[in-house]
Amino acid sequence: MRNSVADKIKKIAKIDETLFVIAGDAGLGVWDDFKNSKQFINPGVNEQLDIGFGAGMSLMGHKVIYYNIAPFVIMRPYEFVRNDICYQELPMILIGTGSGITYAPAGVTHYVVEDITLASTMPNLDIFSPADPVEAVECFNYAYKSKRPSYIRIAKNGEDVIHTEKIDITKPIFINKNDSKNILILHGSIVDEVSKILGIVDINIVSVPMLTSDFNWEEFLSGYDKVFTLEEHFINGGFGTMLRDKIDKKIHKFGLKNEYIHKIGDRDYLREYYEIDGKSVGNKVKDIING
Amino acid sequence: MKQIATNIRKNILHIANLAGSPHVGSALSCTDILTTCYFDILNLQDYENRDYFILSKAHSAMALYSTLHEKGLLSKDELEGYYQNGGTLPAHTDRLTNPYIEISAGSLGHGLPIATGMAHALKLKESNRQVYVLMGDGESQEGSIWEAAMLAPQLELNNLTVFIDRNNLQGYGRADEILSYEPIDDKFRAFNWEVLRIDGHNHQAIKEAVDFKTDKPKMIICDTLKGKGVSFMEDELIWHYYVVTDEVKNKAIRELEESLYEK
Repeated sequence: MRNSVADKIKKIAKIDETLFVIAGDAGLGVWDDFKNSKQFINPGVNEQLDIGFGAGMSLMGHKVIYYNIAPFVIMRPYEFVRNDICYQELPMILIGTGSGITYAPAGVTHYVVEDITLASTMPNLDIFSPADPVEAVECFNYAYKSKRPSYIRIAKNGEDVIHTEKIDITKPIFINKNDSKNILILHGSIVDEVSKILGIVDINIVSVPMLTSDFNWEEFLSGYDKVFTLEEHFINGGFGTMLRDKIDKKIHKFGLKNEYIHKIGDRDYLREYYEIDGKSVGNKVKDIING
Repeated sequence: MKQIATNIRKNILHIANLAGSPHVGSALSCTDILTTCYFDILNLQDYENRDYFILSKAHSAMALYSTLHEKGLLSKDELEGYYQNGGTLPAHTDRLTNPYIEISAGSLGHGLPIATGMAHALKLKESNRQVYVLMGDGESQEGSIWEAAMLAPQLELNNLTVFIDRNNLQGYGRADEILSYEPIDDKFRAFNWEVLRIDGHNHQAIKEAVDFKTDKPKMIICDTLKGKGVSFMEDELIWHYYVVTDEVKNKAIRELEESLYEK
């Protein structure tokens, strides 16, 4: 996802001289062929400045993209994002890498398991959580054309492509469709657990790349009996919570327990520990469906 | 210029009284800087190519509103809607309220990073437009100020001028008793800024400091008095918070008018 989005940005930069990338001393290997461009700046390790500086450039008419590891995009400079970008209604694009527990072995400072909670407190900030490189590029395209601020959380690089047809990121996208009355809604890189889930229970599965679209969820979900959400995010405060606030229907939420993580291990290890891996989720979904 | 500054101070006292809002001392402290900028420095003739004035110490918004009104850029109704229920202007700035209010601010430490981005954008466009920032002295305790202080010389932003309203009274007392920023001149010089220190109530000195040619970003440390122009408010911490009653307003305005006739 990461390189697909970066390649798209570099391509647009060639024809849009107002496009500008600020990298908070991050992105080695991602921006190497772009770092000498006038349209790229690395102001160093100072996230408050990065956001304020970007807001200043945005006020002057630049389309500014801020790129960093996700905790340093939305969490460390939260108040600058709120006051300088969102309150001022600037169409800046924030791109955070390492969503969820992608960088699990690095420890809690590099996790971002509460970013959707934080981002969703800002009323005009559009939140994107793509599942594959196709969704990621389409999310960027949407944000690039938007007059609103955007936050795109992406995992890392090398994810499988799951979409082979044109997609609309403002609506849920079916990854598995059947005649059952049950549906699992997920977003982000946890989509790679889908095959394991389907090996245990056959259920409708949709990916939701744009978490803040005005899609009519009430109508969409009216035909379903059991609704499940799965995300690599704290279970309380993520998309499941956002959805629960929008619809009058019980939602079975799967996500990370809201606690500080002291367990050491990689992403797959922690998914299993917190039972959001495909096998655990598949079994729990099956048990709930079967009563 | 003194007459204009006096009018602006009277506007400040007028709306502080109407609104019952705090921060009158902070607004009076920076009035001469705003007066000189808006009436003798800023190019505002062509809106699309104007110079930018960024009020980072936005708790002094009354001074900006009053100056814009005196300049004819903000109406009497807008001015008197300050801090009122259903009014026009908030206690701290909102850039969507008037086209000459350049940024939304109030939380300290935001103005300089934003101005740095604006100045860099103008340099990229090879524009000769200027960016001016007014920040408080207590505000220099914010880490983001020093982040921007490092970056501005690195980007060779000689189109960026910053005034520090150095009245040496922050929210809870003297800076040197709370967290001293002195020697602030040497600190910014060490960050490769051009640093000038002047009397922040002397219009000529402010103008000359702005006109001083340099290839570096410029820091003008303005020694000022909180509450300047009203004897019983000068250098008194309480006027960071106290409300201007009718009696206080009348007494203060009488003093200001009398001072116009002093040699």
